[in-house]
Amino acid sequence: MSGTRTGGNAPLLEVRDLEQRFDVSGGLIDRLRFSGGRISAPRRIVHAVNGVSLSIRRGEVLGIVGESGCGKSTLAKTIVKLNEPTAGQILIDGEDITHHDFTRMRPVRRKMQMIFQDPYASLNPRQKVRDIIMEPYLESQGGNVPDRAERALALLAKVGLGTEHLDRYPHQFSGGQRQRIGIARSLSVQPDLIIADEPVSALDVSIQAQILNLLMDLKDEFGFSYLFITHDLSVVRHISDRIGVMYLGFMVETGPTRTIFSAPRHPYTRALLAAAPQLGTKLGPAAGQLGGEVPSAIDLPRGCPFRQRCPLAFARCAEERPALLPVGGGQSVACHLDEPAIADPAA
Amino acid sequence: MPRPDIATTPLLSVKGLRTWFHTFGGIVKAVDGVSFDVAPGEIMGLVGESGGGKSMIGFSIMGLIDPPGRIEAGSIEFEGRDLATLGEDEMRSIRGKEIAMIFQDPMTALNPLYTIGNQIEETLALHTMLSARERRMKAIEMLHKVGIPQPEQRLHHYPHQFSGGMRQRVVIAIAMIAQPRLLIADEPTTALDVTIQAQLLRLMRQQVVESGTSLVLITHDLAAVSQMADTIVVLYCGRIVERGPAEEIIARPRHPYTRGLIDSIPHESDVDGAKRRLSQIPGNVPDIRRLPPGCAFAPRCPRASELCRTQDPVLSERECVGDGSGPPRLHAIACHHPLTVSP
Ligand SMILES: Nc1ncnc2c1ncn2[C@@H]1O[C@H](COP(=O)(O)OP(=O)(O)OP(=O)(O)O)[C@@H](O)[C@H]1O
Ligand SMILES: Nc1ncnc2c1ncn2[C@@H]1O[C@H](COP(=O)(O)OP(=O)(O)OP(=O)(O)O)[C@@H](O)[C@H]1O
Ligand code: SF4
Ligand SMILES: [Mg+2]
Ligand SMILES: [Mg+2]
Repeated sequence: MSGTRTGGNAPLLEVRDLEQRFDVSGGLIDRLRFSGGRISAPRRIVHAVNGVSLSIRRGEVLGIVGESGCGKSTLAKTIVKLNEPTAGQILIDGEDITHHDFTRMRPVRRKMQMIFQDPYASLNPRQKVRDIIMEPYLESQGGNVPDRAERALALLAKVGLGTEHLDRYPHQFSGGQRQRIGIARSLSVQPDLIIADEPVSALDVSIQAQILNLLMDLKDEFGFSYLFITHDLSVVRHISDRIGVMYLGFMVETGPTRTIFSAPRHPYTRALLAAAPQLGTKLGPAAGQLGGEVPSAIDLPRGCPFRQRCPLAFARCAEERPALLPVGGGQSVACHLDEPAIADPAA
Repeated sequence: MPRPDIATTPLLSVKGLRTWFHTFGGIVKAVDGVSFDVAPGEIMGLVGESGGGKSMIGFSIMGLIDPPGRIEAGSIEFEGRDLATLGEDEMRSIRGKEIAMIFQDPMTALNPLYTIGNQIEETLALHTMLSARERRMKAIEMLHKVGIPQPEQRLHHYPHQFSGGMRQRVVIAIAMIAQPRLLIADEPTTALDVTIQAQLLRLMRQQVVESGTSLVLITHDLAAVSQMADTIVVLYCGRIVERGPAEEIIARPRHPYTRGLIDSIPHESDVDGAKRRLSQIPGNVPDIRRLPPGCAFAPRCPRASELCRTQDPVLSERECVGDGSGPPRLHAIACHHPLTVSP
C-alpha cells in the first residue's frame, strides 16, 4: 500500500532537493498594469525554497534558523504537505509522501504534526478549545473517543493551562495562551515527528522553559523528533542536536549545534550570531550591522544568494552559486571561501 | 527631594487602571490596579507572564477594549486628557496619529482582502494631507526602512503572500508612518531574526531620540528589553510586581517572580552538560478569576510565608542600591520578602 520502504535505519524524515515556488503574477490585468500595458508581462515567481535537503533521525532535534522571509515556514508547510512541492522528494520513515493527496496523508498525519507560527490564524475561531486540541486525535480515531474530556484536560495541563480554559474560544486568549493551544493540539496523537514553527516565540521565558522541558521529556520518553524553527538563538542552542542555517531559500550551513556556535563558517551565520542581543547590554550603534540590500526571493540574484551583503564577497561569488559541501566534523557550508580547494586543509 | 531625571511632566500617566472581562465563569481581572508614567522620549519595557495583562494595558490605552471587557476604574492621562473618558469619535482622531500600536498578532491587524499598499496608504490618507503620489512614495520609503526588499512590487501583494516576519514589519511600518507621540509596540520583533530585530529596534530608537516619541515596548525577550528600555515594569496576574530602572531590574531583580524569569533563560552552559533541563518557576499561573488571597505569586514562591498567603503586598518604592553615581532612582517592589541585594 504505502510507498517503498527502506530498512529500519532509514531517517525518520528525509527531504531531498526540495523546491517551492509561488506564482505571484496576479491576474492578467495586474500583469498588464505592472508592465505598462505590454502583453508580454513576465510572470513573477517567488522562489521560497531552493533545493533544500535535510534529514532527521528518530529522537533527533534539527533546529532551523535564518533570516525572516528566507523560507523556513514554507519549508515546514511543504514537508507536511500543505503546499504541493514544486520539485524534490519528501520521505517519512522511508515512505515517499511527495505526491500523497489529503486522504493518503491521513496515516502520515498521525506520525507528523505541525505547530504553526501564527497561532491565531491557525485556530478555528468558532471552535472551543476542547474541540481544537482534540481534532488530530479524533481524526486518527475516526471520531469515536469515549474519554474525550479527560484527554483534553490532560493535554491542557501539559502546556500549563487549567480547566477553566476548556470551553473558551481562541479570541479570549492572550497570544502565548493561543500558542500553547497549538502545542497541545500537536501532542494529542503522540506523533513521531513534530514540525514546530516558532513554537515558543509568544511565551514568557518561564513558560518557555516549561514547554522546552516538556518537549525534551517527550523526546527522552517516547523518542519524539523535532524540526524546530526559531529566531531565538539561545533556544535553538539549548534544544537542537544539529542546526541548519537558511538564507533566501537556500541551506547555507549545517552542522552540530556546538560547532555552529563555536566555529560558524558561513559569513551569514557569523553575522547572525554576532547580532544576538545580550542580557544587560545596551543596543549599540549600527556598526557591524549587516549592510546592503536584503535580496528578493522574486528576482533571485545570480551567484551566491548572500553576496550583496557579504563582507567577504569576491568576483567568483557573483558568477557561480556555491554548493553546500561538507567541510568535516559533520559541518557543511555553501560558500566559495570554504570550498575544499581553497579551504584550510586543517579544517 | 526634586529629581532632575523626572523633571518633565509625563506624556502618559496611567493611574489605578482596572480592565476586567465579565465572563460567564467569573470576572477576569486582566489589568487590576496598574499605575505608571511615561515621560516624553522615554522607553518603558513591559514584561511579565503570558496572559498577565500586557496587551490589555495597550488595548486600554488605545480605547480598544470590547465587551465583555470594560475599564472599571482608573485614568489614562495623555497630554492633559483622560483617554478613559473619551468617546469613540475622539479616540479615533487620536488613534493611529498621536498614539499608535503595533499589534502582537500581525494577521489580526492586517486586512486579508486588501494589498498592503492599500493599507499603508489608507493610514496616510487618514492622518496626513499628502497627495496620492506622495503617499505612494512615502509607503515605499517606509517599507524600505523596515527592510522589505523590492517595496514597489511588494505594495501590490496581499498579507498572506508575506512571511510572518515580513507581515510584522509591515505592521511596524504602518504604526510608525504617521510619527505618533506615543508608540505601543506589542511583541514587535518576536517573528524576526536577530539581525532584522536589531535593525528595527534601532529604527524605533531613532524615532524616540529624534522626535521625542515615547515608546512602550511589550516583549518576552528580556535581552531585547534590556537593550532598549530606560524603565522596566514587570506584571504578574494583572498587577505590577516590580518597576525600576532597566539595568537595576535586570542586574538586581528583587521580586522573586522577576528573579525566576531571569533564571529561566537558557544559558550557554546548559548545552549537553546538565542534560538540558531549564530552571522553571514551579507550578502554574493561577486562574485569574479565582486568585488566592494575599500575594498572587505565593503558591509558586520559594520565599512565601503565612503573611504572603493572607495579605496583599503593596507596591512600595525604595531607592536603588545603584552605584552611588547620578541622582537616586526609585525601585518599586510588591513583595513582603524581597530579595536582598549587596551593593
Ligand atoms: N475577550 C476576552 N474574554 C475573556 N478573557 C480575556 C479576553 N481577552 C483577554 N482575556 C484574558 O485577559 C488576560 C490578559 O490578556 P493579555 O492579552 O493582556 O495578556 P498578555 O500579557 O498580553 O499575554 P501574552 O504575553 O501571552 O500576549 C488573559 O488571561 C486572557 O485570557
Ligand atoms: N502563499 C504564498 N504566496 C506567495 N508568496 C509566498 C507565500 N507564502 C510565502 N511566500 C513567500 O515566500 C518567502 C518565504 O516565506 P516564509 O513564510 O517561508 O518565510 P520564513 O522564513 O518563515 O520567515 P519568517 O521568519 O518571517 O516567518 C517570502 O518571500 C514570502 O513572501
Ligand atoms: S510577597 Fe511573598 S509570596 Fe509574594 S513574591 Fe514576595 S515572598 Fe513571594
Ligand atoms: Mg515563518
Ligand atoms: Mg499579549
